[in-house]
Amino acid sequence: MEVTVKIFRYSPEKDERGHYETYTVEADPNDRILDVLELIKGHTDGSLSFRRSCAHGVCGSDAMRINGSNMLACKTLVRDVGAKITVEPMLGLKVVKDLIVDMDPFFNNYRKMLPYLINESPLPADGKERLQSPEQRARFDETTKCILCAACTTSCPSFWGSKEYYGPAALMTAHRFVYDSRDEGASQRLQILSETNGTARCHTAYNYTNACPRGIHITKAIGELKLALVTGKLD
Amino acid sequence: MGSKRNISLAKALRYKGQASYLTYILHRIGGSALFVFFTVYLLGLLGVESMHALMRNWLFQVIFLIFGLFHAINGLRITFLDLSPKLMEHFRTAINIEWVAYVLVAGFALFVVLRNAFGD
Repeated sequence: MEVTVKIFRYSPEKDERGHYETYTVEADPNDRILDVLELIKGHTDGSLSFRRSCAHGVCGSDAMRINGSNMLACKTLVRDVGAKITVEPMLGLKVVKDLIVDMDPFFNNYRKMLPYLINESPLPADGKERLQSPEQRARFDETTKCILCAACTTSCPSFWGSKEYYGPAALMTAHRFVYDSRDEGASQRLQILSETNGTARCHTAYNYTNACPRGIHITKAIGELKLALVTGKLD
Repeated sequence: MGSKRNISLAKALRYKGQASYLTYILHRIGGSALFVFFTVYLLGLLGVESMHALMRNWLFQVIFLIFGLFHAINGLRITFLDLSPKLMEHFRTAINIEWVAYVLVAGFALFVVLRNAFGD
């Protein structure tokens, strides 16, 4: 099928503002948007820039706006979006070139959540792992699936409205550790989350839940953190 | 505290969210409608006569009802789900129920306003 692809283009050396360029390519309905972009880059316009790495929905490099909504280009098929496709960079992060955005603010917010295990207690008597039951592991299983693609954070109206808001991906990272039975840093993280730019800025628009390529129920995770902050109890 | 925007309002409104994003936008419009309504109401209490006339205007009442009622009903849905995060998995169903409730309540309220405005 013939596919018309309108792509946002921006080159800091040439453009003050971005512009759109339209390409027409032959694609199979089962091709992914990433395949279409590769086709254009390989055969029509080698200057087209976008991030990609694993191309299988695991690394999260190729999150972008496809027909107005955040998606992973490697997980979205042409047949799902139709023959007229508009591809743009994610909103809210500075565009570096074409579809590539500056992820630094995103990862800075991620780091603020102390994304590592905090446990000062001595190791168990056998000196081996800190064990947890399958039920304890299941408690935070969903939020471990995050691939840090930023599709959620850059679809969040609160993040669009404030450069200071940590964003849903960072809050989800906090959830992953707060509910980990082996971790002892919950109170530190909840203190960070209780600040102005923490959970209070989440107004449950659900854009990020819809945008998450891993199907994580982000709003539910943030809701659990909000409730923990109000009640002072994790469960 | 600062709150510099990452993107313009126009760009934000062009994002293709789903039904939940529509309710998010309508909630903000409804909040603004409530602000206008209470401003008019308070000015009326302070004796500004033209505000009384505005409060009695059926078009003003209809606009307030359409947006203000949505704000109230959507607010109830948000509060309910915020208090029961486990139910957030069913947010699409909750939004559908909310629309049904809104149509019923707003329909009845509009009927009353219009009947009062234009007689039996």
